[in-house]
Amino acid sequence: MSTESRPAEPGDARGPHAGSDALVGHRPAAWWSRARLMKLGRTALLSEYFVLYLSFLYMLVLGPFLPQLFATQNLADMVSNIWPLLVVAIGQNFVLITAGIDLSQTSNMALTSVIGAVLVVTACDPVLFSKCPLWGTLLTEHGGPLAGMALGVPIAVLTMLVIGSLIGWINGVAVARFKMPAFMVTLVSMMFFSAVAIYLPKSENIQNLPHAFVVLGKGSIGPVPIPLLVGVGVAIGAHLLLSRTLFGRRLYAVGTNPVASTISGIPTARIITQAYVLAGFCAALASVLYSARLEMGRPTLARTQFIDIVGANVIAGVSLSGGKGKITWTAFGVIFFVLLANTLNLLDLPFYTIDIVKGLVIFGAAFLDVMRTRAAAQSH
Amino acid sequence: MKFRISLLVAAGLLVGALTLPRPAQAANKKLTIAFSFQDLETEFWVAGHKAIAETLAKRGFKVIEKNCSKDANLQLEQVKGLLTQNVDGVIIIPVDGELAVTIGKLANQAQIPYGVFNRPPSNKDAKALVVVADNRKIAADAVDYMAQQAKKLGRKVTPAIMVGDLGDPNAVGRRQGFYDIIEKYPDLWTGKPIEIPTKWDANVGLQNLQSAVQANPNIDFLFTSSDFLFPVIKSVLAPLGKWEKSGSKEHVILGGLDGDKTACGLIRDGYLDSTGVQNLFAEAEMITDAITASVSASEKTPEKWMDDHGFALTQANFKQRHLDMWGCRLLEGK
Repeated sequence: MSTESRPAEPGDARGPHAGSDALVGHRPAAWWSRARLMKLGRTALLSEYFVLYLSFLYMLVLGPFLPQLFATQNLADMVSNIWPLLVVAIGQNFVLITAGIDLSQTSNMALTSVIGAVLVVTACDPVLFSKCPLWGTLLTEHGGPLAGMALGVPIAVLTMLVIGSLIGWINGVAVARFKMPAFMVTLVSMMFFSAVAIYLPKSENIQNLPHAFVVLGKGSIGPVPIPLLVGVGVAIGAHLLLSRTLFGRRLYAVGTNPVASTISGIPTARIITQAYVLAGFCAALASVLYSARLEMGRPTLARTQFIDIVGANVIAGVSLSGGKGKITWTAFGVIFFVLLANTLNLLDLPFYTIDIVKGLVIFGAAFLDVMRTRAAAQSH
Repeated sequence: MKFRISLLVAAGLLVGALTLPRPAQAANKKLTIAFSFQDLETEFWVAGHKAIAETLAKRGFKVIEKNCSKDANLQLEQVKGLLTQNVDGVIIIPVDGELAVTIGKLANQAQIPYGVFNRPPSNKDAKALVVVADNRKIAADAVDYMAQQAKKLGRKVTPAIMVGDLGDPNAVGRRQGFYDIIEKYPDLWTGKPIEIPTKWDANVGLQNLQSAVQANPNIDFLFTSSDFLFPVIKSVLAPLGKWEKSGSKEHVILGGLDGDKTACGLIRDGYLDSTGVQNLFAEAEMITDAITASVSASEKTPEKWMDDHGFALTQANFKQRHLDMWGCRLLEGK
């Protein structure tokens, strides 16, 4: 039997170098051989770029059936949908690395959306707003306190970021200092801040935002959309924070083993609190982008987006058990999630089918993460 | 070498996929109308959705439907996606009036005719074909009949209103219509009306109605901004012995608005005094007529507001007018 095309296998009597060119003078196994393909598959599966490869493959497979997927406008729309989700998902990433979770990001976004809009709105209809608690103080027929001011929008955005961070700080202190379960703390804060967001404007949306605010979600600097600049800026900053700073190293340590981290002198409570502050900050920043693209402050903003925020992280391999997660993974997860939603919409599937598919994909991703972890452990 | 060839093949596939000539369009491409709606939670929206989708299909249009499950950002993204599919027209039932404006601007930019059904844009910054019920007048008609029944009692009554989501202009109009009648008969009431928020959510309505009735057990004049809340109202009033037919001592004078099957049955059975009726089928006809005419005439940004003046179906005119109400027609399978 010729040994030309049979590569060496464990226990092969020909010895470990059987099939090697150098020793037996035969050509190497073809690239499409089973062993090579399995090795390629294993490499891809274990690769950090697995979700990115999956996204490209997905586009390649669907492309011939969905030509409109590659339409310029569709690609532009898809890309524009990435940035706000990326910003808020990055915030969630920090918390997930600590083995925590932040359910309040959505209500954080809603409350900061309302607050920002109240500050800069240029006109308010008394019929709609006269019964709200802010009427006569922060809100009048002529709008909010910063309406028409040169620095009104920057101050409003800064206020949103500060309040978002403060909400994160409250969550962080409760989880880190008082050792309350993260799920419970952030669930309660989600309910509380969601109710406050609705109470302040009496559930009214706040329109008539100034152009300078709206442009943050829809405008561009030269050819570069502002949301892209914000999203990429946050991603780069977060990546550097996690990979190049002491905070980042400590964050992973706390997520991997909080007890050992504390014993080794890491200020665990402070690190966890800071993670929640970052989650709150990112939620508020995402709220700026969403509110601007919707051209209004909305007390119900992002109400149903939590699954997207966590799902994008989980798909990409960020572990819910903590200690594992990268900003690049989150970015890949968001790209895949947005791509998935876009293609399912283009396929004109019923909305419940889309939600079912999304749920199955997230479940599959979580399962795959377990398999990858095992495969990685075996290969060591 | 083989690896390089493989890489070239993969790159070629990718380039091919990106530059693949699109299949030539069929000579007689079906015109496509995108229909984006916020949810199908109530009979009104279910019936409205069905009426619009079926009418468009019967007229030979392809219909692409999108349900955003009340998520404003999702509806925005869905419509953006629909506009890139070069649909010929868009009809939406928006999450709220403000979003209708934001989405309308996108449709205007894309030069695609834009229609809004029943939930009007909060302002006219975007050009749109809008069909809207005159909620204020319809609510006032229903509540006026209720007030006539209250007068017959020869005493003052304690009024309450279940208010919808005030982000929805429909809810605002209905509330205004209710208050028009409150102001019309100032001597009929024991005090200011009790407002019960519902945010168009049955659970929220249930909890708040329970609290209101606990705090104000004398409520005997109740208007709901939407008929879909009648099961909630029954579940609160019945255990208190207040779910009684008209003419009974414990009867709470009851009114609503929409005109669904539930309301039809309740008026027929004597529990409900009146309901304001939106002429749903006529509204669906109006919007589909307007959008299809615009598409056929290649109008890019048509603008027209069409009112449905509606009417109040009451116990007094039930026999004569019940088949004018869409809910009764559905109830009788017509």
